[in-house]
Amino acid sequence: MDFTPTDEQQMLIDTGRQLFAEQCDGVLARAAWEDPAVGVGLWDRHLFEWMELAGGDVIDLVLFAESHGRAVAPGPFLSSILARQVSDAVGIGPAEGAVTLAIAGSAGEWVPNEDVVKTHVTDAGIVSAIVVVSGSPAEPLVGVVDVGACELREVDQFDRLRRQFEVTVPASTGVSVDPAALVHGLERATLIVASELIGVGRWCLDASVAYARERVQFGQPIGAFQGLQWKLVDAALVLETAAAMVAYASMAVDADDPDRHRAVHAAKAEAGRAARRCVRDGLQVHGGIGYTWEHELPHRFRRAYAADALFGPSGWHLDRLAGLLLD
Amino acid sequence: MQLTADPADEAFRAEFRQFIAEHCPPEALGGRDFIGSGEDGPDGEAVLPGWAREWQAAMFDHGWMIPSYPPALGGRNATPLQTLIYQEELASRGIPRSLHFGGYAIVGPSLLEYGNDAQRQLAPAAIRGDTIWCVGMSEPNAGSDLANLSTRAVRDGDTFVVNGQKVWTSYAMIASKCFCYVRTNVDVAKHRGISVLIIDLDTPGIDIRPLRHITGQAEFAEVFFTDVEVPVENLVGELDQGWRITMGSLAHERGSLWVEGVAACQRAIDDIIEMVRRRGLAGDPVVRRRIAECHAQVRSMRALGYKGFASFAQGSSAPEHSFMKIAASEMRQNLYELAMDLQGADLATVDPDRSEQQGRWQGAFLVSLAATIGGGTSEVQRNVIAQRVLGLPKG
Repeated sequence: MDFTPTDEQQMLIDTGRQLFAEQCDGVLARAAWEDPAVGVGLWDRHLFEWMELAGGDVIDLVLFAESHGRAVAPGPFLSSILARQVSDAVGIGPAEGAVTLAIAGSAGEWVPNEDVVKTHVTDAGIVSAIVVVSGSPAEPLVGVVDVGACELREVDQFDRLRRQFEVTVPASTGVSVDPAALVHGLERATLIVASELIGVGRWCLDASVAYARERVQFGQPIGAFQGLQWKLVDAALVLETAAAMVAYASMAVDADDPDRHRAVHAAKAEAGRAARRCVRDGLQVHGGIGYTWEHELPHRFRRAYAADALFGPSGWHLDRLAGLLLD
Repeated sequence: MQLTADPADEAFRAEFRQFIAEHCPPEALGGRDFIGSGEDGPDGEAVLPGWAREWQAAMFDHGWMIPSYPPALGGRNATPLQTLIYQEELASRGIPRSLHFGGYAIVGPSLLEYGNDAQRQLAPAAIRGDTIWCVGMSEPNAGSDLANLSTRAVRDGDTFVVNGQKVWTSYAMIASKCFCYVRTNVDVAKHRGISVLIIDLDTPGIDIRPLRHITGQAEFAEVFFTDVEVPVENLVGELDQGWRITMGSLAHERGSLWVEGVAACQRAIDDIIEMVRRRGLAGDPVVRRRIAECHAQVRSMRALGYKGFASFAQGSSAPEHSFMKIAASEMRQNLYELAMDLQGADLATVDPDRSEQQGRWQGAFLVSLAATIGGGTSEVQRNVIAQRVLGLPKG
């Protein structure tokens, strides 16, 4: 097992960080909060071309997705990447342009189901097509439908940088696909969301450490207080273990390792826990300033919870993991 | 990034497995926590059983005691990755290398690094376990603040005269030598006036009293020194330069020190799953959630350990490792406590007829409490991480 990035991977990490640092600041995010079209501009100008990562090793995708998560980049890029994981895995021709994925039904679980009203469909208002998964876990169906053929209802969320919709899809959409291939695609997508969560958490931890070094109260930097130091150490501990787990699970999926199913559940659960921990403790460390809309923290705070829920919250993954361990 | 191993390294693994199959005594298998009774005869059998001595000697003789060392020192010039493989093979079976950590892991390597020619000659026997050493570090007023130690050594002609007290000194009651940190200078900053002396424990003026701990048993002791005369040639390294010796033990194994703690956690989870099934608790949603949480956390720790190892093997500092001790030691306590809770009202029962495996979990829990105290408390570790890894200011 080797966690050392190759030269190409290091370049991918560096390029991703630079791209988002230059193109995606708090001003852009606040604008996109009010108007999703702002995110479409980012997609058109910069992110569309990065879709070529979609079919490659998931370890490469997660390296890029972490930078995307740090920046809470708006627009349809991540939804498109997630949808492509499913369509590519089952061999449905790649949908061009911005797409999203519809799979969860009334139960809010990312497993194939018969419901025609799909829930938690991200960015449906700014994509042209939807990859729809239906049927049952044993006999899944996957198809691509034009967004115009669906009825959309926006469901207001914590996180308006990635809006969610209820989508009524046409009945009996799609063709029968290999269940194992679908699981593979969904596992890749789950890891990409997990990596976004790591990016969110890492931004918050870095920002909180930097702020604790600068902010002076009682005549010294607040970062010198042990109560605050331990809070940040514990957040860093949870974040670093989760980040390593996401990398391990990605390598396991790329290698078709028999351990991959358990690893993906553990990775998503830990990434969600880590991001939520980092934004909560990060907000506390920032004090009042982090509570204001002018600060860049509130978007990350909301994203941490929204992305934890996406593709199943931590608790759901732990229960699935328990099934693999105990049944 | 990849998940593969080299054929040469797999051959190394296979060879070690073969050695274990042929030489490992049954008493060493299964990851039990070994605690001597302390109520011992002169042969020390109850504190350090014969099988453990023979196993350590066999490891040394076959080049498996410290694989990264050359054959004369009980090794085979193994690479860092091979050392990691070696640790995994031992830890996954719960096999201890030695029951007295101090000799092979602290004294031997320190003598090799800081000792003079004569002192270096003592290293092989320390590593093989032929000479039992204790390490005199902690004192009543020098725990986490080790530099505060006050056991005094005063030069008098060709000897140092030592007065003072050590405590929590493992295996002192059966050791023949003590690698002892003493104060040789009171006029300088406290960590600049410390030296290391080799003290033969049969020197007049030494009183060793076994110290029972929370388990009810004893593997450590209090050691009292009253006008103990130590020849000046027993000084290790330079006078007043002993502090740096506290920093270095088996530096080349640092990349894989975490393996044992994480493997102990993984073994505990496997055994808890077995117990939960046997006791009909496998359908309980609360139990299921707790087990899955622990499993996810232990697997994540393991991933972080490997990630740190990758940096270490490339010669970078690996901040990951400072997290590993805290994470593994605290998780171990949580797991043992969970296993106790799963026994319902028998959680505190250690009766052979009523308790799970004769109170194995209860005993392991008590033993595991030492892991967040010894070798740097979790609190001191957090301070160190805050300042050295996160870069926060010193409080």
